[in-house]
Amino acid sequence: MAKGLSRQKKRDLVAYSFIAPNFIGFAVFTLVPIVFAFALAFFNWDGSNPITFAGLSNFKQLTGDVFFKAALKNTIIYCVGTVPLTMIASLALAIVLNQKVVGRGIFRTLSFFPYVASLVAVTSVWKMLFHPSKGPINNILYTVFHVPMEQLPQWFTGGLVLVSMILFSVWKYMGYYMVIYLAGLQGISAELYEAASLDGANTWQKFQYITWPQLRSTTFFVVVMLTINCFKVYDIAIMLAGGGSGELTISSTVLVYYIYQKAFIDWKLGYSSAVAMVLFLMVFVVTMIQFRGQKKYQ
Amino acid sequence: MKKKLLSVLLATSMVMSMAGCGNSNSQPAASNDNAAETQTQAAETEAAPQTEAASEAQTADAAGGDAVTLKWAIWDKESTPYWQALVDAYKEVAPNVTIEMVDLGSTDYMTVLATELSGEGSDFDVVTIKDVPGYATLVQKNAILPLDDYISADGIDLSKYAGTTDQVTVDGSLYELPFRNDFWVLFYNKDLFDAKGVAYPTNDMTFDEYDALARELTDTTFGSQVYGAHYHTWRSAVQLFAVLDGKHTILDGDYEFMKPYYEMVLNQEKDGVCRKYTDLKAEGLHYSAAFSNGDVAMMNMGSWYVATLIASLQSGEYDADLCGNWGMVKYPHAEGVEPGSTLGTITGLSVTSATDTPDEAWNFVKWVSGEEGAAVMAATGNFPAIMTDEAMDLITGLDGFPTDDASKEAMNVSNLYLEVPYAENVSEINSALDSYHGSIMSGEMTIDEGIAAMNEAVQAIKN
Repeated sequence: MAKGLSRQKKRDLVAYSFIAPNFIGFAVFTLVPIVFAFALAFFNWDGSNPITFAGLSNFKQLTGDVFFKAALKNTIIYCVGTVPLTMIASLALAIVLNQKVVGRGIFRTLSFFPYVASLVAVTSVWKMLFHPSKGPINNILYTVFHVPMEQLPQWFTGGLVLVSMILFSVWKYMGYYMVIYLAGLQGISAELYEAASLDGANTWQKFQYITWPQLRSTTFFVVVMLTINCFKVYDIAIMLAGGGSGELTISSTVLVYYIYQKAFIDWKLGYSSAVAMVLFLMVFVVTMIQFRGQKKYQ
Repeated sequence: MKKKLLSVLLATSMVMSMAGCGNSNSQPAASNDNAAETQTQAAETEAAPQTEAASEAQTADAAGGDAVTLKWAIWDKESTPYWQALVDAYKEVAPNVTIEMVDLGSTDYMTVLATELSGEGSDFDVVTIKDVPGYATLVQKNAILPLDDYISADGIDLSKYAGTTDQVTVDGSLYELPFRNDFWVLFYNKDLFDAKGVAYPTNDMTFDEYDALARELTDTTFGSQVYGAHYHTWRSAVQLFAVLDGKHTILDGDYEFMKPYYEMVLNQEKDGVCRKYTDLKAEGLHYSAAFSNGDVAMMNMGSWYVATLIASLQSGEYDADLCGNWGMVKYPHAEGVEPGSTLGTITGLSVTSATDTPDEAWNFVKWVSGEEGAAVMAATGNFPAIMTDEAMDLITGLDGFPTDDASKEAMNVSNLYLEVPYAENVSEINSALDSYHGSIMSGEMTIDEGIAAMNEAVQAIKN
């Protein structure tokens, strides 16, 4: 049956057949919905009644939407805070744990542990630690630093909630990026450091001229992954700041939460897609800039 | 050749297994003995026409019609006793109808249900309606049928539902019939009043009297704290005090009238009369845990808590020394308003647009929401939508129900305002109010800022 096919064609077919399962799944469950969501941003639809064309009205409505603007602002602040801090923390950890220190394996495991632990469980622990009146952190502030009871920080509301979210995220995810940096560090040839030592370079110079440039592609990967993941933040906001009736307030709402709320609580799928488009554009633009920057150095 | 065949087979099997993932929505819920029963019965009825068609048809007629299976969406089957009780009781009335319950869980029940009923392919016949925003969604999606024709044909007297059906009527049509009607009361812990030598709350208290009473009972001494009041983190627990004067509704778009109530509660918080909202949120304290702890003197909550209290005290889950001596009174009322006005939450049943057997589905809805269903509900300690004298006696006569007259009298409601009545954008309004309630209670915004923000948000939604 396959006699007529050339050797090359046969090979191609085998290759395609291996790709097919994944690709068909991707196309049906991801690609088509994504394209559909793009189109949906220009329509009004509640999932049941007929779709009506809306033109740009969904986007116009966004400009006057208080919750959308708050979500956008919070998401950006969260990303601007989380990405550099996580990167610095994970790089520092990786450099320290790349030295020959006693108990290196244990420390590496410990740093990786928050990443493995269940988000729900660790947020509960954080909420106990930072509990506004009974938590140890505020108790230390009260007893040791004599901060008056009324001025004790409210870690999960108001202006501080984003700080809590950023701190939590850095702590939870630095272990994962540390592992990536460790792999990068181990790929740097020891000869470079030896040569630098002979030339009399100090530790900072070694970092500046060898480690940092050699890690450029690792850093690129870390920053891109971090940025994308930060824009997608949802679970941390819900777990740390949600509660009560489950709604996030203006100070803690984030884009992905708002997309969910508009789509599946209010059933405004078109409007929700418009918010999703804004999120997509932001991630897209930031990633493109990062790609450009990376290319320039190569 | 062989390799290629193998790869094609492998590919197909993987694709098939993936496709399988998307199509198993309703299966897990059917994993109980009830479903097994349904299956065997379905098998019997299918087999019947081929073997003994004639005689089988006769018996079916005798039983009141062809065998029908109705698929019914519910939540928390294991922990809620009345679902099974209703199904069992209906089996006696209509033996030809099999009710198959599908448990969608309570956490995001209305969201899951709306998703199930979106688009084609839903096979639910009867669905339970948990809240008004979710009801509004289903009505707007045309997922449930208007019941007006059935209601007039069967002569259902809607006045029995204490005015609640008016508040969920959409453009003159009613899409659900309530079978459960919970109203908010003030629960109190008699032991704490006795310890202080303070008289119990009464069925006729103004908000000022209530506030003074809460303050009187409060003890902020470390180690022996007593909270005069407790407000759960829900919006309803604070904000909706304000709508009980009958002059305002939650859909007004101008929420200045809520200010005195926010002031009352936030001042109580400041003086240690009630637990702080931010604390409650951080620890996720459930209201039942707060009350059963024995340090809360008064707590406003829905009447569903009656069944929980009775059952949990009997099972020993709650310590009877801490909260066993409880009572309830009517909600406090604004100055010049007749006592007995309170908030209500109805749970209703609807017939889906997708059902093949709307008549049978309606019969079930009618029965559950009617007086016979009410008796079943009351026997399990729950408040039926039709409060007959019989149902009232059943509940007040339950072992564990407070024996004082005030608690019995508290069951007489004069005006019942739904937590949210129907409106076109009720779901969005609800979200905005929820969010700003959190902002006010957590101190992110002052009361005035929060109310101004609510006004702006809701007016924007309404226009």
